[in-house]
Amino acid sequence: MSSVSLFNVTKAFGEANIIKGVDLKVEDGELVVFVGPSGCGKSTLLRMISGLEEITAGEIHLGDKRVDPLPASDRDIAMVFQSYALYPHMTVAENIGFPLKMAGWSKADIATKIREIGEVLQLLPLFDRTPKQLSGGQRQRVAIGRALARDPKIILLDEPLSNLDAALRVDMRMELARLHRQLSATMIYVTHDQVEAMTMADRIVVLRDGIVEQVGSPLDLYLAPVNQFVAGFIGSPKMNFWPAQTDDAGRVIMPTGQAVLIDDGCAPNQSVTVGARPEHLVLCDSAADAALTGTVLSVEHLGSDTFVQLHCGIGAPDQIDINVRLAGIVRVSIGDQLSLTNADANAWHLFGQDGKRMNKIAI
Amino acid sequence: MQPSLTKKIFIYVGAALLALVIAVPVLWLFIMSISSSTHLTTLPLQWWPDAPTLENYKSLLVYAENSPSASFLYGIRNSIIIAFAATAVSIAAAIPGAYSFSRLPGPRRKNLLFAVIAIFMLPPVAIVLPLYTVMSALGLLNTHFALIIVYCSILLPFTTWLLKSNFDTIPGDLDEAPIIDGANRLQAIWYVILPIARPALGAAIMMAVLLAWDEFFYGLLFTNDIRAKTITVAIADLAAGRVADYGLISAAGILAAVPPVVLAFFMQKTLVSGLASGSVKG
Repeated sequence: MSSVSLFNVTKAFGEANIIKGVDLKVEDGELVVFVGPSGCGKSTLLRMISGLEEITAGEIHLGDKRVDPLPASDRDIAMVFQSYALYPHMTVAENIGFPLKMAGWSKADIATKIREIGEVLQLLPLFDRTPKQLSGGQRQRVAIGRALARDPKIILLDEPLSNLDAALRVDMRMELARLHRQLSATMIYVTHDQVEAMTMADRIVVLRDGIVEQVGSPLDLYLAPVNQFVAGFIGSPKMNFWPAQTDDAGRVIMPTGQAVLIDDGCAPNQSVTVGARPEHLVLCDSAADAALTGTVLSVEHLGSDTFVQLHCGIGAPDQIDINVRLAGIVRVSIGDQLSLTNADANAWHLFGQDGKRMNKIAI
Repeated sequence: MQPSLTKKIFIYVGAALLALVIAVPVLWLFIMSISSSTHLTTLPLQWWPDAPTLENYKSLLVYAENSPSASFLYGIRNSIIIAFAATAVSIAAAIPGAYSFSRLPGPRRKNLLFAVIAIFMLPPVAIVLPLYTVMSALGLLNTHFALIIVYCSILLPFTTWLLKSNFDTIPGDLDEAPIIDGANRLQAIWYVILPIARPALGAAIMMAVLLAWDEFFYGLLFTNDIRAKTITVAIADLAAGRVADYGLISAAGILAAVPPVVLAFFMQKTLVSGLASGSVKG
């Protein structure tokens, strides 16, 4: 059993509460991604699971065993560091073999095991080099190799790709996903990059200020964010938000006066925030039917998509700029007037004054 | 960019002057050591002796009881024992001490570090009397042990500080990684931190040996015969008789420099290797 369970885990540095009571269960063989803005406590939480950071209160279990009183070296967890933390005075082979040496393996057994790992990660030709003779991607693979040496059941990865360039990052992302399938190990992965989170995770844990905001599959988080923070954090480009009112019938009255139907939520007569992802805004022909109208500020043609930034006369005193993602090539130019509406009543979201998602109320 | 000719000339002249300032006293010492005492007192002075002689070296290195050679050879032996033992003890204590100062948290630890430095700053004269009383009461005067202990009090703050500032430059991930890999704290220090800090360790060992080797004040006060007298004191004794034999003193000075020079020669590689090694991050 290699599940990881956290029960009301907290961490305080003096007066400052960094982690404020986290309950979480990571299932056996799952790849869970901790994501959140800098300072949200995601790395601290990972370090607490690894044992490098003590917990202030709560319990951590690996499988059925409580591990929070144990030192890191007794938890049998592997970890890949953001800086790779390769031992600079050792060769690649010695780096990968180090955990086995510490575990008291014989030289022959270590040699066999590291060859096995070298083959999986295509490191064999590099075995005699030292870390400073390696490229960033190679170092990353050595760090992963070292983590795999002891056949760990749980692997923690702390922003492992953040030191790589964009192209390499995409490759390593796929490589890691492949390794995860191949090893069927439980992995916990920390990143601030929500694209990494969306593409790799079985489940994503969104953290803010030491609190778990939402746990769910990437699509759960995309389709039904529980609050405005998660809605804004997941998805790229970001979700657009603007203020609106609901009428007696629970329809949302746009700042333009247009009424639109949104499936979620709609308590009558309230101030709400409407959230719409850039890809869920569509052009409409007549300004009279439009939920939003605005002037084009900028256009980016990517071929597959056209990103348009619109300046809308809503949300005074702060005039709001809306990002729109139009499929394919759309011929618009700066200064054009565009009218937008929602194609699907399911696609837009409503958030209450407290930022929480509003759920549909039967009228 | 190529430096201009004047700049080049300036640099070479400067380097030559520096070399001259450093080398001339040593050269002079050497010339004196191969001159006979009559030659050294002849006027006008000559740059090079007419009949260079190794007599001075011989009378130091060939053992004879109650002669300068006895006091010199015992002095060398005592200095080697004391300097290396004090260095070994200091380094053994400085490694965990420096690691703790560098890695583990706590304001009290920091205060302690400053206390260590403050004590290091105290002039020896300030504490020599209480130390003398203590050593005398313990019956340790004129023993190797007394000087080893006292030298440790000089070497330890110095080596701790030196190693601490080097450990500070080693990224924290590098002692967390071995712990994740199943090592305990001491193994992490032994297998990872120390090999990385090897150049600093080499420098610390060398400076410590030199400090102990050159120490004179405590050596003079805490020893009184060949059983414990260090080489610096032995050389001073050569000058203390009614007639100072400068040739003999010079030869002793040259010979006393040999052990540290040999040490430096063997540690050279360690010291330089550190300057070339790069960082870990990519």
